[in-house]
Amino acid sequence: MKKTFILLMLSAFILLAALASAPDPAKVAEAPPPPPKKVFEDGSPWKAVDQEAAMERARQVPEFVKTVLKESPAERKMRLGEKMPTLADVPYRYMIIDSPILKSPPFDFLSQESAGSSFPGLKIGDIYGPVRFMHLKHAAVVKDCTKCHHYKPDQPDASETTECSACHQKPFDPEFPERPGLKAAYHQQCMGCHQKENKGPTDCTGCHAKNPPDHSVLVKLPDHPDPLMVTKECLRCHDHTANDMLTSAHWLWRGPSPYTVGAEKRVDMGKATNTINNFCVALTSNWPRCTSCHAGYGWKDANFDFSDKTRMDCLICHDTTLTYAKVPTEAGMPYPQLDLKKIAQSVGKPSRKTCGDCHFQGGGGDAVKHGDMNGILYYPSRNCDVHMGGMDFQCHECHKTRNHKISGRSLSLPVAEGSRSCQDCHTDSPHKFHTGEGHEDHNLLNHHLNRHTEHLHCQTCHSPVYAKCKPSKSWWDWSKAGDKKRKVQKDKYGMPDYSWQKGEFQWKESAKPEYLWYNGKVSRHLIGDKINPEETVRLTFPNGGIADPESRIYPFKSMRGKQMADAGNHILIVPHLYGPEGYWKTLDWDSAFEKGMKAAGLDYSGKYEWVETVMYWGLTHETIPAKNALGCVQCHSALKGEKTCNRCHQDNRNVNFKKLAEKGTDFEFMASQGRDVSHLVGQSDYLNFEALGYKGDPIIYGGRFKKLPLGNETAGMEN
Amino acid sequence: MQITRRSLFKIMGAAGGLSAIGSRAAAAENTSDDDYGCLADVGRCIGCRKCEMACSKVNALPPAQTSFEDMTVFDRNRRPDEAAFTVVNRYFSSRADERGQPVPAYIKVQCMHCLHPACASACITGALKKQENGAVTYNPSRCIGCRYCMIACPFQIPAYEFSDPLTPRVRKCTFCFENISKQGGLPGCAAICPVEALTFGTRSELLKIAHQRISEAPLEYVQKVYGEHEVGGTSWLYISKVPFEKLGLYPLPEKEIPHLTETIQHSIFAYMWAPITLFGILAGAMRFFNPQQMSGKPSQIQTEKEV
Ligand code: SF4
Ligand code: SF4
Ligand code: SF4
Repeated sequence: MKKTFILLMLSAFILLAALASAPDPAKVAEAPPPPPKKVFEDGSPWKAVDQEAAMERARQVPEFVKTVLKESPAERKMRLGEKMPTLADVPYRYMIIDSPILKSPPFDFLSQESAGSSFPGLKIGDIYGPVRFMHLKHAAVVKDCTKCHHYKPDQPDASETTECSACHQKPFDPEFPERPGLKAAYHQQCMGCHQKENKGPTDCTGCHAKNPPDHSVLVKLPDHPDPLMVTKECLRCHDHTANDMLTSAHWLWRGPSPYTVGAEKRVDMGKATNTINNFCVALTSNWPRCTSCHAGYGWKDANFDFSDKTRMDCLICHDTTLTYAKVPTEAGMPYPQLDLKKIAQSVGKPSRKTCGDCHFQGGGGDAVKHGDMNGILYYPSRNCDVHMGGMDFQCHECHKTRNHKISGRSLSLPVAEGSRSCQDCHTDSPHKFHTGEGHEDHNLLNHHLNRHTEHLHCQTCHSPVYAKCKPSKSWWDWSKAGDKKRKVQKDKYGMPDYSWQKGEFQWKESAKPEYLWYNGKVSRHLIGDKINPEETVRLTFPNGGIADPESRIYPFKSMRGKQMADAGNHILIVPHLYGPEGYWKTLDWDSAFEKGMKAAGLDYSGKYEWVETVMYWGLTHETIPAKNALGCVQCHSALKGEKTCNRCHQDNRNVNFKKLAEKGTDFEFMASQGRDVSHLVGQSDYLNFEALGYKGDPIIYGGRFKKLPLGNETAGMEN
Repeated sequence: MQITRRSLFKIMGAAGGLSAIGSRAAAAENTSDDDYGCLADVGRCIGCRKCEMACSKVNALPPAQTSFEDMTVFDRNRRPDEAAFTVVNRYFSSRADERGQPVPAYIKVQCMHCLHPACASACITGALKKQENGAVTYNPSRCIGCRYCMIACPFQIPAYEFSDPLTPRVRKCTFCFENISKQGGLPGCAAICPVEALTFGTRSELLKIAHQRISEAPLEYVQKVYGEHEVGGTSWLYISKVPFEKLGLYPLPEKEIPHLTETIQHSIFAYMWAPITLFGILAGAMRFFNPQQMSGKPSQIQTEKEV
């Protein structure tokens, strides 16, 4: 009995000790972390439901249709009249084009291994992967199902929209000489229309993901190579790729800043040079710790050679074994235990794992920095992220990459190598259809919803909470650091409230974002900029305003905290935290500030103070399934009462307006799933219109540029 | 009987002229309605170069100098060579699209597999042969490297491995002879073409398809099937929306070229038996002193060995 008690105490103590030391960045973990578990939050095996269903459908081969009704499009329209197929007839929103017909005879020989040295290890039939096809989106944009489903099979009961693979199967069939095979039918139809409409891709990789060749036959390395040997082997074939990489943001940690106010033409801004944040503050003087996320080896001080291609780390992005990992404190060097030869021989495309290992883990741990990215996204449920969880999207499928320049931009950092938006795929009027049971009435809403896209970013309604599935840090007070005796408490999410090295924290889960006008430009505080210590310093702030037609309402995570400032020079301090003489070893702020400022080339007055700062982070990931987006009444309190749409419409159609307006994000359901959202249930002022500069609910007071013809009162704009 | 180079030289002096006549006769005999052919629709080709890639792979050609995804190769016109049996070239027609950009036309170039191949007629050893299924194939073990075929071909197709000092071969599109000899087999290029710009089938069927396609779109297509009659007809046929001359397919006489080359050859051989005997003796001497050089590369086309 006593023994058990002692054991229990002991294990509790060890646990506590482990917890207390967990954030210790100076501690080198013994072994590389295991790959993320491919399970849902509840431990059940993970699968991307929409993707699997689409793949299953793609495997079906319908019975071959021999004859079709030969009629011109006009004849067909006349025959069908009112019965022309519509969006409501679209059975599947999402499809994968990967029919077994494309790999069976006579195409099979393309997939057989054959001699020839141009493509060692890659079967030519396998160079390109299957296509993700937004079927419903295409139907909505094309507006006429019969444009693609151009003939109806001859049988009377055949569907007007019979699938492509029913009529188009084998090529060059002597019985049907003029009927293209399935592969040509797709390419002719898709590319023909994309060309004609001047919309959509017409190059191979615009639709197909390219499969990398099998590198196990290409990569020649001795056993246990060191990382630089691996890179040299990569360079043997990919030298020009390395040249592209030399000028990329992931290598330089600086680059063009087209969206930073006042720095639109600069190319020198970034973490490597002049940005500062309110997490671990700044890179300078803390290199070996921070650069564990650099796509390179050995950036341990200011003298790193950015022209040395052999110092590039190709594996950090191209590992497919899910095992590659860098030691957190070794300036980007990987764990020595890893089998680098095996990893190098399996290289391929980046994945959520490779991107996520840095981007989910920013700020020293999972979910710390980004409000919308965390380790859950390695294998998220559909509810956590509909793209990654439902359809197994990998990061690069949205963040299109050319010459190792990865598109996408953020508020947190100035560097941008191209930008992506929801509209790139979903178009400017994304609300065109709702299918399935319970959605019939929704078509009435589309007009209104599409008008919203002029004033709101998609995320505003489609990502109504952030840190949806895992708490993210929201407050960091450096001034409290240094108390080794203070007991670390857990908050309601089980997250620690304190670390003696870093200070005091707060966390938020399933949190409501802050909504602000945003026109894509960011004001940014840089290292050395003067501050007003009386005011909260805005490290990043979205530009925009209600009167600016370019601005739309956008959701943000605001990260707040207290950090160090030079009380004499009125600038923020770059502290020396990591290293034998850093604060985390010495607990001596004076020396840490002096050393950090010296490394940053700044004058330090010797006096410091703690100032409050705020940093805005845009929220774009964690898209909720469409039927869970914010509904009308969740923002428009005007629709809450008995009068809803019939405030304006005198519509006697048999539509339950009230029900229609009240659909939306089901916070009650989310709360029942253990999310911290009970306070949001029943809210009808989700967006605070007054705070955004409106007089009140635009339904009553009018929009920012237009007045409603039937509004009770007209709105005046604030500015 | 297996004809080796040596036995060939033995009989050559006497039979040189006759063998040429023989191959001419064989060519005419071999063509029939069931010959395979390929219809290349220039109006459909998107210039993706996948056919070049597939050709390189199925024929185990040496690695390409630049990637098959490098579209800058279109900046100059290319000809098939010993490392590429087919190339795609880009031409700009006078047509412009809605944005005023000139519309490119892409044309795949390879051996036309003539019904009466001038190359085969010019070949004094029968190394080039019109096969029953339509392919004009090459047997390196018979080739003496005279390269008459290169001069004779009206489309300048055969290429020579000048870079190989020991056992150079004449190289050209094989029509994927081995593949198409199999039931349901396809040439690599036609199999991979994503838009079926290349249609594989019997020549008679292809002619029907071609005429149907151009007559259904009279305003778009040039009302002519190139290769139907040119040089006596070719197994590869072209239809196009831009005039053929603009694609490098120049007007050629309908008369089969072999007549011409044979006339030349026959007159050559009538008076040139002496030098040929001399070459034969020289070749015999070479064989004696350097058996390695003369052994030839193993035949790719096994069926050619038996005569
Ligand atoms: S195109 Fe030239 S090489 Fe080909 S068959 Fe005709 S003559 Fe011979
Ligand atoms: S038929 Fe065969 S050899 Fe000729 S171009 Fe096509 S793939 Fe190459
Ligand atoms: S594969 Fe087809 S479309 Fe592509 S270049 Fe060759 S012939 Fe043209």
